[in-house]
Amino acid sequence: MTVVGRTWERLTIPGKILAVVIPLGAVLTAGLAILIAVIGGAVVQFLVDNLPLVRFVVAATIVLLMTVPSAFLIIYMEMKVIALMNLRYGPDRVGPFGSALSVVHGLKVLMKEDFTPTGADVPVFTLAPVVVYMSSVMSLLVLPFAPGLFGQDFNIGLLYFFAMGGLTVVGLLMAGWSSFNKYSLLGGLRSAAQVISYEIPLTLSVVGVILLAGTMSLNQIVLGQAGNLFDWYIWRQPLAFVVFFIAVTAEANRTPFDLTEADSEIVAGFATEYSGMRFGFFFFAEYVNVFIASGLTVAVFLGGWNAPFNWPWPVAVGLDPGSLGIGLLLLLTLGPPLAIVVLGLPFYLLNSRIRFWQALIIGFGLFNVIAVAAVLGLAFLSFDWVVGLLWFMGKTYVFVFTFVWMRGTLPRVRIDQLMGFAWKWLLPAALLNLFVTAFAILVLNR
Amino acid sequence: MTGIWYIVGFAVAGVSFVFLTIGAAWLISHRNRGDLHKGLPYESGIDTFGDTHGRFGLSFYIYALLFVAFDIEVIFIYLWAIAFRSLLLGGFVSMLLFVGILLLGLAYAWRKGVLTWR
Repeated sequence: MTVVGRTWERLTIPGKILAVVIPLGAVLTAGLAILIAVIGGAVVQFLVDNLPLVRFVVAATIVLLMTVPSAFLIIYMEMKVIALMNLRYGPDRVGPFGSALSVVHGLKVLMKEDFTPTGADVPVFTLAPVVVYMSSVMSLLVLPFAPGLFGQDFNIGLLYFFAMGGLTVVGLLMAGWSSFNKYSLLGGLRSAAQVISYEIPLTLSVVGVILLAGTMSLNQIVLGQAGNLFDWYIWRQPLAFVVFFIAVTAEANRTPFDLTEADSEIVAGFATEYSGMRFGFFFFAEYVNVFIASGLTVAVFLGGWNAPFNWPWPVAVGLDPGSLGIGLLLLLTLGPPLAIVVLGLPFYLLNSRIRFWQALIIGFGLFNVIAVAAVLGLAFLSFDWVVGLLWFMGKTYVFVFTFVWMRGTLPRVRIDQLMGFAWKWLLPAALLNLFVTAFAILVLNR
Repeated sequence: MTGIWYIVGFAVAGVSFVFLTIGAAWLISHRNRGDLHKGLPYESGIDTFGDTHGRFGLSFYIYALLFVAFDIEVIFIYLWAIAFRSLLLGGFVSMLLFVGILLLGLAYAWRKGVLTWR
């Protein structure tokens, strides 16, 4: 025992880590191999027999896990873009250009004390962020990301989307009421009044699109915009687009309509008494909602995953790896080392201060970049969903940038202007758009 | 039918994700009961006074009432919009009448000054 103890003492910290990790990894790998050998076949058979279940689990996992990086990305974008607009540096310490700061923020929120005030209604207080977050995840179910890449294609897609978006109000109201704080109560009621007022123009503005597409399924609406730039519904529904974008900004509680958490008036609105992870989930859901709002705008008015011009792809790449035979094996074994040496050699030859092993490391990095780029390019050429996903994400992040831009430039509106604008301007405009569209369909008969 | 199960499944998955994360945060986070003043509601530093769930503006209720009327209208309009290509002129005129009646109500509320926030 003492021998083992003395040897252990002499190891440095990386040595100790390795001494624990390597045996553990070996045991786990062996265990996994035995497990696969024993029950692997049965598991595969079970998965094949229950393909719908497998599809559901994959869809739910992807959608749930997708919310985390997209929220982090939007938070980072907001910090950095607003900083640049204010002529500040913004985050620049953690990671390249401070890009890891939002992850650090997330970890910090995870470790903060999660406190419940004495007066609070504990079950409602705990459930409020759950309801808010759940409503955003459930909206993601119908969002079409790419051809064949969506959670589920309902024939009532848009209606379902707005119903789930409306659930957010319930969560915010629960948070406001259960916090036992006057600021929270005011924030919750304000958010309820604001969100329900803007829900009417929001839902009415898309009726024009439903009239044109003849369906509420988001997938069908996107398919109806196939073709080029001028087949998108934004050209036939410009008024609806303006009304929709204003209303969706208010629905997502973003500046200039962020009266629910107006920090100069009511501290932090409904979130005043929240702390720790329960507070975190409100803001997590807010950033997911920004993504969802942008995605819906793109899907309904900007052609979703359709390219803005007639995309000649997917093209069939006439490359069959099997035809190379033994050449494929040689390529796979000899290609990477050769490529690393070839890529690293110029650095070694041109710069006398770089040693050979350093040049090899540079070559390895370059080779990885090129290999990943080649695989992505091949996927981009041959699968239409990769193209679609890229177009959808590109357009969506343009709108996310617009939301951040508005936060950087526009001042917050007053509450009387906010409520009056929804009922006196947006609602008549949405109804006008609806009847003009219906009349046009009636007259043009198409 | 699978759609229903997708909705239920997504709800369960979302709720369990939140509870798992909150549970993990509860395990690793700092906890301290503190004294009496820690649990008081935040009112800019002073002790709270008055009834928290007391009186607030009547305007909130009126907007909620207007919302209910127009939200039901939206449900009808959605169904009408899908069926519009088979209804044509008759559908157009009846929807014009339906919305016209609702707009009369909105005009009345507007005239009464309900839409002006006080």
